[in-house]
Amino acid sequence: MTLLDFARGPGLQGAWLIMVAGTAWRVSGILLLRQRSHLAAPRIGFAGRVRVGLATVFTRFVPRRTFWPRIAVSVGLSSTFHLGLAVIVLGGAPHILLIHQFFWLTWPNLPKGLVAIVSGVTLASMIALLFRRIYHPVLRLLSKADDYLSWLLVFLPVLTGILLSGETIASYSTWLTMHILSVELMMVWLPFGKLLHVKLAFFGRAAMGMNFARKGAAT
Amino acid sequence: MTDFSFLADDSLVDALLMEVAGLLRGLIDRDEGGSIDLRGLPLSPSCIETLDRCLGQGEISVVLDAAGRSEIRETSLPGVWWTKHADGAGRVVALLIEVAVTPGILRADVEDMKRGLDRLPTLVKVAR
Amino acid sequence: MDPTATLGEVLGRRGFGRRSLLKFAIAMTSSLALPPALAPVMAANLAKAKRRSVIWLSFQECTGCLETLLRSSSPSIEALIFDFISLDYQESLMAAAGADAERTLREAVSANKGEYLLAIDGSIPVKDGGVYSMTGGRSNLGMLTEIAADAKAVLAIGTCAAYGGIPKAYPNPTGAAGVEDLISGKPIVNIPGCPPLPEVLSGVLVHFISFGRLPELDELRRPLAYFGTTIHDQCYRRPFYDQGKFAKSFDDDGARQGWCLFELGCKGPVTHNACASLKWNGGTSFPIQSGHGCIGCSEPDFWDAGSFYTSLAGGSSAGWRNTGIALGVGVAGGLAAALSGRRKST
Repeated sequence: MTLLDFARGPGLQGAWLIMVAGTAWRVSGILLLRQRSHLAAPRIGFAGRVRVGLATVFTRFVPRRTFWPRIAVSVGLSSTFHLGLAVIVLGGAPHILLIHQFFWLTWPNLPKGLVAIVSGVTLASMIALLFRRIYHPVLRLLSKADDYLSWLLVFLPVLTGILLSGETIASYSTWLTMHILSVELMMVWLPFGKLLHVKLAFFGRAAMGMNFARKGAAT
Repeated sequence: MTDFSFLADDSLVDALLMEVAGLLRGLIDRDEGGSIDLRGLPLSPSCIETLDRCLGQGEISVVLDAAGRSEIRETSLPGVWWTKHADGAGRVVALLIEVAVTPGILRADVEDMKRGLDRLPTLVKVAR
Repeated sequence: MDPTATLGEVLGRRGFGRRSLLKFAIAMTSSLALPPALAPVMAANLAKAKRRSVIWLSFQECTGCLETLLRSSSPSIEALIFDFISLDYQESLMAAAGADAERTLREAVSANKGEYLLAIDGSIPVKDGGVYSMTGGRSNLGMLTEIAADAKAVLAIGTCAAYGGIPKAYPNPTGAAGVEDLISGKPIVNIPGCPPLPEVLSGVLVHFISFGRLPELDELRRPLAYFGTTIHDQCYRRPFYDQGKFAKSFDDDGARQGWCLFELGCKGPVTHNACASLKWNGGTSFPIQSGHGCIGCSEPDFWDAGSFYTSLAGGSSAGWRNTGIALGVGVAGGLAAALSGRRKST
């Protein structure tokens, strides 16, 4: 079996199952934790709390105006990276093909050139984010191996994806194998570190929104 | 039949003509010609057609019948030959631009001439 | 045929002069991706070449490789050259059989010791002492080891001989293996493909006769001249790939207009062969031109590389059942963790 056959075969199957099991373990473990008892009466009913909670998931995408000058750089870079990644993964033809194979959904892809430009911008924003993490004194203090590993395991798929679509430096075979393997590494790590924010961020926002709504402090 | 004319790349034709010019200059100055194997390049059929049209037709056309039919044609540029070799079944096995005083394949070979000389007496007998 | 006659003399007697040989050399240098200037050198060497012995052993094969080479002969100088280097031993083709055939083989080996080329098609089963493919009471494995010992070089023809091919596909019940897994210390040339392009064998043989050595090989022992690029690199549908125009099914509009077959499982980008440039049946067509994606038949283990119709962007599914089990295991683990957390906090 070649490395590419492994990556497209048992590697993909194994990584998917580890990601599903790990994510289910962590998300259910968090959701099933004992909640602190609320001693005061809720300000709005359950349905209202749920509605506010769901809305909070989306309202928190745009930071409050007061903070903009202080957080411009970090939110700017981070949004560029996240939106860029979304464009690549959801707009790139081969990714839509992958999703179609497993989930039967499909939609029109974006032109290859556009995805290429966005990939370059995404890569640059990731490098900028890494530099910021290393040189900003507070971020440097707070950053652990988990943070750097999570960055690396997302950076490698973006980099190998660019080299694969450019078909340059090494052969198509080599980059395809590296790209798929790096994505599988990311999938295996995803449930166990900071990367799980891809799932937890939404639960976190919703929980916070529901809590604030209960207290009558929904924003 | 799908229209592949969009594949015609003028820059490829220009590049090849520049190479022909270089080989011709070499032939004139240093008696060193050369050949360009057109089947070894990623040329579309319309590119080859354009190149053929550019080079045009010269004074000499030769048909060679040796293990299949070959057509050797001097282009409008003396010393630049368009050569197409086909095998016994008519399939094209080589397509070349040759830059030479005369393409090598047109010259009679010494061994063949020796064999011809050996055969000459039999021909004389038959003629009588 | 006078065994001491040169190829030039043999061709001359059959009415083929030096021009025919030069024309053949021009075609060969083009096919081998050699500079055109080498054609006269090749022609001169071919004219002086003495007869080469080739012994051909067919093992665990479907005879497709032999058929492709036989059917490829055009009424031309190439057929004569094949005649010249003619096969001293080949079971499917020769008239002799049984004990006569055995004797022919032994004589060919001893008469050309150290100088003959050994051509193999079919894989070699090794399980249970190699009983799954035998000829005249001898296992293929035994024959290979014995006859390769005195060969100048071994040509593994077809994917089965090169890498194990179909018989090696999971679960490989006979223990099939390729030549390079079993023979060491001999120059080996792999000419993979299911079947391989006939021009590749003629190219390798002509190169060997003309220059006295085998052509340059890649890291999988394949002649670089034919396997140096991928189908994707030479494919005429490449502009459609670059423009993102893909056929979504075998009979949709895109397919009718000859769009790229990547989404229908084409393995062209990871397959090294010359099908897209040399094509099949004397340059007539090749799978992609006929509307079917490349199945990657010249790469090792291509039968176990997943469906021919799953694109390179896709892969094997773990299945909904296994996914459900993983989900269940995860939730169970989460529940256990949460309960232990609750217990700790009370």
